[in-house]
Amino acid sequence: MKKIYLFGLAAISLASCKSKITPETPVKGNADFTTYVSVGNSLTSGYADGTLYRSGQLNSYPSMLAEQFKMVGGGDFLQPLLPGDAGYPSPKRVLGYSTDCTGVTALGPVYYSGTMDTAGSSTNIGAQGPFNNVGVPGIRCIDFSIAGYGFFNPYAKRFYASPTTERPIDEALKKRATFFTLWIGANDVLGYATSGGSGIVNGYGQSDISPLSVFTATYNMVVDSMTAHGAKGVLINIPDITTIPFFTTIPAKGLVLRQGQADSLSAAYHPVGISFTAGANYFIIQDTTSPVGFRQMHAGEYILLTTPQDSLKCAGWGSLKPIPKQYVLSADEVANVQTATTNFNQAIATAAQAHGLPVVDMNSYIKTLVSGITFNGVNFSTTYVTGGAFSLDGVHLTPRGYALAANYILLTINNTYKSTIPMIDVNKYSGLRFP
Amino acid sequence: MKKLCVSAIACFLYSTGAFGAGFQLNLQGLRQLAMANTGTAWPWDVSTIFYNPGGLSRLDGMQAYANINFVMPSIKYVQTPTGGYSAETKAQTFTPFNLYVGGTLKKHNKIGVGLGIYTPFGSGTKWDDNWQGRYINRSIALESYFIQPTVSYKINEKISVGAGFIYALGHVNIQQALPVQFANGNDGSGTLDGKANGVGYNLGIQVKPIKKLSVGITYRSQVKMTVDNGNATFVVPTSLAAEFPNTNFSTKLHLPGVFTLGVGYQFTPKLVVLADVEMTGWKVYDSLIFDYKTNTDQLADTHTPRLYQNTTAIRLGANYKVINSLSVMAGLAYDPSPVKDGYVSPELPDANRYVATVGATFSPIKKITILAAMEFVSSDKRDATFLPANFSGKYQSTAFTGGIGFAYHF
Repeated sequence: MKKIYLFGLAAISLASCKSKITPETPVKGNADFTTYVSVGNSLTSGYADGTLYRSGQLNSYPSMLAEQFKMVGGGDFLQPLLPGDAGYPSPKRVLGYSTDCTGVTALGPVYYSGTMDTAGSSTNIGAQGPFNNVGVPGIRCIDFSIAGYGFFNPYAKRFYASPTTERPIDEALKKRATFFTLWIGANDVLGYATSGGSGIVNGYGQSDISPLSVFTATYNMVVDSMTAHGAKGVLINIPDITTIPFFTTIPAKGLVLRQGQADSLSAAYHPVGISFTAGANYFIIQDTTSPVGFRQMHAGEYILLTTPQDSLKCAGWGSLKPIPKQYVLSADEVANVQTATTNFNQAIATAAQAHGLPVVDMNSYIKTLVSGITFNGVNFSTTYVTGGAFSLDGVHLTPRGYALAANYILLTINNTYKSTIPMIDVNKYSGLRFP
Repeated sequence: MKKLCVSAIACFLYSTGAFGAGFQLNLQGLRQLAMANTGTAWPWDVSTIFYNPGGLSRLDGMQAYANINFVMPSIKYVQTPTGGYSAETKAQTFTPFNLYVGGTLKKHNKIGVGLGIYTPFGSGTKWDDNWQGRYINRSIALESYFIQPTVSYKINEKISVGAGFIYALGHVNIQQALPVQFANGNDGSGTLDGKANGVGYNLGIQVKPIKKLSVGITYRSQVKMTVDNGNATFVVPTSLAAEFPNTNFSTKLHLPGVFTLGVGYQFTPKLVVLADVEMTGWKVYDSLIFDYKTNTDQLADTHTPRLYQNTTAIRLGANYKVINSLSVMAGLAYDPSPVKDGYVSPELPDANRYVATVGATFSPIKKITILAAMEFVSSDKRDATFLPANFSGKYQSTAFTGGIGFAYHF
C-alpha cells in the first residue's frame, strides 16, 4: 500500500520537477529595426567560393542579421536571389579531387561540375524590388556616385531597377531604411592587391587603389544619404587583406629543395649572388626594378592563391623561372595596400564620428581570427580550407565565417543601441563540405 | 588550452567530466537516501557496508538487502545573454541498484562480515543530435559497479571498526559531433567507448560514547579507473578518413576520495536525527588526458584542464518510528559544486545542488523490511562558460529519484 502511495506522489512531483529557466526576451534598445537595408560589396551579397550563388545569398551575413532583428521587431528582408546554386557567372568552387602535373591526385578546390541551374540568372529582376540587400560584388566605395553603374557590373545589372541610369546609392535609398549596415571600401584596395599590384595608387581603374579624397567624399555622401531620414546603423571597416588566405596560403619561403636541387640552383644563380640550401627557400620572383629583372622573395611578401600550382610544381616557376609579378605582392605593394587600408579606415572612423554612428572594427576582428577563434567547440582560423572561416576563393567567407562576422556586428549594435539581440548560432550554418 | 589542439579542426573530446560531480550517486541505501544520504554514524542495516563498514559488527545477525533506484535527471540549457534558443536533455531513466549480504556472525557476534555491490557513480546526459553544443557533447553514459567485501570488528560496546576492499568496474560511452561536414551538410561524429577498472578501499569507525549518541568517521579512498584499449570510432567524409582513423585510446579517470564525519542522536525513543559532513577530494581531477594509439594532424592526444575544487557537503536527516513496524524519514542536504567558473561543460553542467528526501520502511513480518524513498535534487541556476570550447549559457539541472527495496533478516 505504501508503495502505491509513494509512486502516486512521485508522478505528481515529476511534473514540477523540471527546470523552468527561460531565455530573456531580446529588446531592441533605441534603434528601429523595422526596415533593415544592407549596403556593401561581395561580402554583403553572400559571395563565396569565387562566385555568387543562391544558397550563398541565403546565408549572407545581412540575411542572418535580419533573422535576428526579427526577434526585436525587424521586418521581412528581400534579397535579389539568383535562381540556382551553380554560381553566376562562373561556377563555384567545391572541394574535390584533381590530379596535378606530377600525377598526384589530391583533395583541393575544383570547379563545380553538377547541374548548371543558372538559366535566367542574367534576367533583370528590378521589378521585384526594391531590395533590402543591395550588396553588389565588385563594387567600390567610389562607384556609389556613378550614374549608370549597373551597365558595367553584371550583378548590379541584374537587380537595379534602372541599371543604366541609376547611381548605386539611389538603389540603396529606395527602401527607406530605419536601420542599415554599411560595409564598403574593401574593393578600393582589393583589386590592386589581387592583381599583384599591377595597377597604380590614386587611380580609377579596377586594379588601382582609389584616391583617398574621392573615397572620403563618396563615403561621406553615402553615409549622409543613408542617415538623411534618421536611420541608425553601423559602419564596418576594411580588413587588412594581407591576413586572408588568398595571400597567406602559399608561403614566400615555399620552395622546398633537396640538397642536389639546391646545389644546381645555387650554381645556376651564382652569377647574381643567390644561393639555395636544402629545405625551404624563398621563391624567385619577377621584379622589374631589379637590374636582372628578378630576385628572391623576402619575408612579408605574398604569393597569390591564384598562382598556377602546376607551374610551381612542374614548370620551374619560383626556381628556374621567376614567378610573374601579377602573382606576387611585393614589399612596396604590401605597403601601398596597408597604407591605403589605414587611410580608408581612418576616413570611415571620421565619418562615423561625424554622424554619431559606431564602427564595427572588422579589421581587428579578422586579425584575431589569424590566431584562431573557438565558437561552441569549433575552431576557426584564417587557414585555407582547414580554418573553416574562409571559402575556397580565399577572400570571401563560408556561411560560418559570415556568421562569425555577423555576431561581431551584433556585438557593436547591442553595445551602441542598448539592444539585446541574441548572438547567432554560427554552427547552424555550413562550413566547408568534404567529399 | 586552444594551443593544445590548434592543428586540429576539432578538439575532439572537450568533454568527459565522465566521473564528475553530477555523476556521483548518493543512493547506496534507501533508508539513508530518505534521510538525505546521512548514515555514517548509524548502522541502520547491512547497507552500512557502504556508509560505514565499522557499523557492520553492530548489526543483529545477518541480512540480505536489494534495492533498485529509478533516477530521472533533466538539464535545461538557455543561450545567454539573450536568445531564442534553449535545449533540454532527453528524458532517460537510470536504474542503479544495490545488493548487500552481511551482518554479524552467530558464534562471534563481535565480528561482522559482508559483501556489497553498489553503484557510486553513474547516470548520463543525452542532448538532441543537432543542439548548439553538439561539437562538445551529444551524449555521455556512465556505469560503474563497486564490489566490496568487508570485515568489521566491535572492539567493545563503544567502539567498532571496519574495512572493505573495493574492486571497481566501469563502462563509459561518449558521443559528439565533429565539425567536418559531409557534402550533404551532415556533421561527422566521434564515439569513445571503453571499459574501466580500478581498486580502492573503504574504512570506517563508529563510536558510541553514550547510549543516545553515535559518531562515525569514514574514508572511502580515491579509485583510479583505468581505461585501456577503449574504442575510438569516427564517422567522417571519405576524404578525411585517414585523418580520423578508428583507433584505441587509454585514459585514467580518478574517482575522488570521500571523508565523512557523521553524528547521530536519539532525541526520543522514536526520533533519531543524523548529520553528516562530507568532504570530497575532487581536486584529484585537475585534468583529463586522452591518449590515442594512432595520432594524426587532426587527432591529437588531448589534455583538458578541469581544475576541480574540493567540496564539503552538509546532510541532515531524521528517522521517526511511527509504530514498531513503520518508520518514516526525511532529509535535506546541500551539495556544493566542485566545478569552477569557466569549466562548466554541457555534458555535466554542474552547480550547487539542494536535496530534499522522504521515505518509509515497513516490516509486515519481523524478518522482512520493505523500503521506499524519494529524492528531489535541484541545482542553482548557473550562468557559465566552458572556456576550452568557448561555450556559454545558463543551466539548471534537476533530478528525481524513486527507490524501492527489500531486506531479509536471517
